[in-house]
Amino acid sequence: MATLHIEELTKSFPAHSKGGEPTRAIQGISFEMSGQVFVSVVGPSGCGKSTLLNIVSGVDTPSSGTVTVTQDGKPAVLGYVFQDPRLLPWRTVMQNMLYVSDLPDEEGRENAKRYLEMVGLDGSEGMWPGQLSGGMQQRVGIARAFSVHPDLLLMDEPFSHLDAITARSLREELQTLWEATKKTVLFVTHDVIEAVQLSNRIITLAHGGTVFDDTSIDLPFPRKASDPEFAAKQAEILGRFETMEAERAATLGESVDFADGLGAG
Amino acid sequence: MSVASILDRPGFKRNRVGRALTSTWGARITSYVVFLVFWQLLAMSVARVPGPWETFEFIWKELTGGAHGGVRKGEWVEHLSVTFVRFTIGLSLGVVAGLIVGIAVGSSGFMRSLLSDVLLVFLALPAIIWAFLTVMWFGLGWEAPVYTVMLSTAPFVAVNISHGVRAVSPELHRMSDAFGVPQNRRFRSLLMPAIAGYLFTGLRFAFIIGWNAVLLAEWFGAANGVGWRSRLWYDGARYEGFVGWVIIFITIIFLVDGLILTPLQRRAFRWRRSDAPAIEIEMDHAGFEEGLAVRSA
Repeated sequence: MATLHIEELTKSFPAHSKGGEPTRAIQGISFEMSGQVFVSVVGPSGCGKSTLLNIVSGVDTPSSGTVTVTQDGKPAVLGYVFQDPRLLPWRTVMQNMLYVSDLPDEEGRENAKRYLEMVGLDGSEGMWPGQLSGGMQQRVGIARAFSVHPDLLLMDEPFSHLDAITARSLREELQTLWEATKKTVLFVTHDVIEAVQLSNRIITLAHGGTVFDDTSIDLPFPRKASDPEFAAKQAEILGRFETMEAERAATLGESVDFADGLGAG
Repeated sequence: MSVASILDRPGFKRNRVGRALTSTWGARITSYVVFLVFWQLLAMSVARVPGPWETFEFIWKELTGGAHGGVRKGEWVEHLSVTFVRFTIGLSLGVVAGLIVGIAVGSSGFMRSLLSDVLLVFLALPAIIWAFLTVMWFGLGWEAPVYTVMLSTAPFVAVNISHGVRAVSPELHRMSDAFGVPQNRRFRSLLMPAIAGYLFTGLRFAFIIGWNAVLLAEWFGAANGVGWRSRLWYDGARYEGFVGWVIIFITIIFLVDGLILTPLQRRAFRWRRSDAPAIEIEMDHAGFEEGLAVRSA
């Protein structure tokens, strides 16, 4: 089981102009997650969610603080699902799966096939990504991330570019997939309802990159919109979001805009 | 009445002759016929221009070993093959050098600052300069044509490749970083396919420039080959021989482009064609849950 430990993480980017203030994306985030958990990080646009994932995945480096991913002493294997599918357009679905695989050829194929089946894409191995719809391409992206048997799976708003209906069915599939594999998942989204539907724990980031709230959710899966407990939990988290936005509006003297927190459910 | 107004007349396209003439093949054949007629008129009015008939007669004799100017049967094959070998070696060296320099310039800012002006100078140097220089350096023999081809093709490949490398999607690079894809696999599956379009453009240029280069170098600095052969007829005031060889090597450019480059390009870009074999699959939730059942079984 992988453990992700984040301690007093900060990240600032150099100022755009000379003499300007550097942009602070993250200002002192600390949390730890471990084992079979699905953790969502939610927050408004520009709160440092994507920067956090980039640092955890090693694509970006922290300005200060530490991020460690430990896996029984071995280096942890990471899987990544991006906002867009990021498939190689000149490679078939199967070749895209094999592109990230460390397994020997035959074994890699078997493994890829199994995960493609799990996202309902059996029979599409020989197709080019351009022949698939956006939702199907993202399914390949999800299958690819699971197929490397990640100790920690990072997901960066994977459904935000899809239409509401496709996003809904992919969310349900992700839930089923997670229950079957119980991977350690760090899921970033700006959609509170999506986070409540999928996660065991929700970390809310405030504007300016600080942890505003950290809540666990103990409802059973699958979570249906008709379930009153689910609805109550949604309302509770959204309520905190509203409080956060109101506090911010009070300090900035701005009107409150909840649009960010109220994505399609 | 102008040609355009005849073509636009409503009745014209309806009959078979009209359709044949305005089809793409019709247009192509028409362009050849017009060219031949123009050539014939030019030959009839200017003394030192050989006409199409004379020229094709020459080509026929040259290729079949008929009696003209002491030609041995099959001599043309020797010249053509020696030129082809020089061209192939020179072009291969040029493409490899161009790829290496192009990838270096495309992927590193330092290399770009170091080499981009140098590349521009090399691009600006015409093949004839290389032909003279290499003859000066190496004398008559195989070196001058081979190096002329290499030196005049490499910069075109390099410039195209460097643009291609810079255009590779940073998102796909980041995806490869995130999954820790090894460098050799990244080269094969990400970089090379991503720059394939630029590589083909570079190859086409290199091919035409290289073919010019090998002929020039042989003209000045070889004792055999197509360039030397053209010069032989030119020096002997047999202009139909000179023009005949020009036609032979233009035909070769057409053949190589159609038989090698175009099919290769089509293969490299299979993924862009919408008519590539598509497999119909039914996407539904039931299928997904079946998939899970298979997995847990």
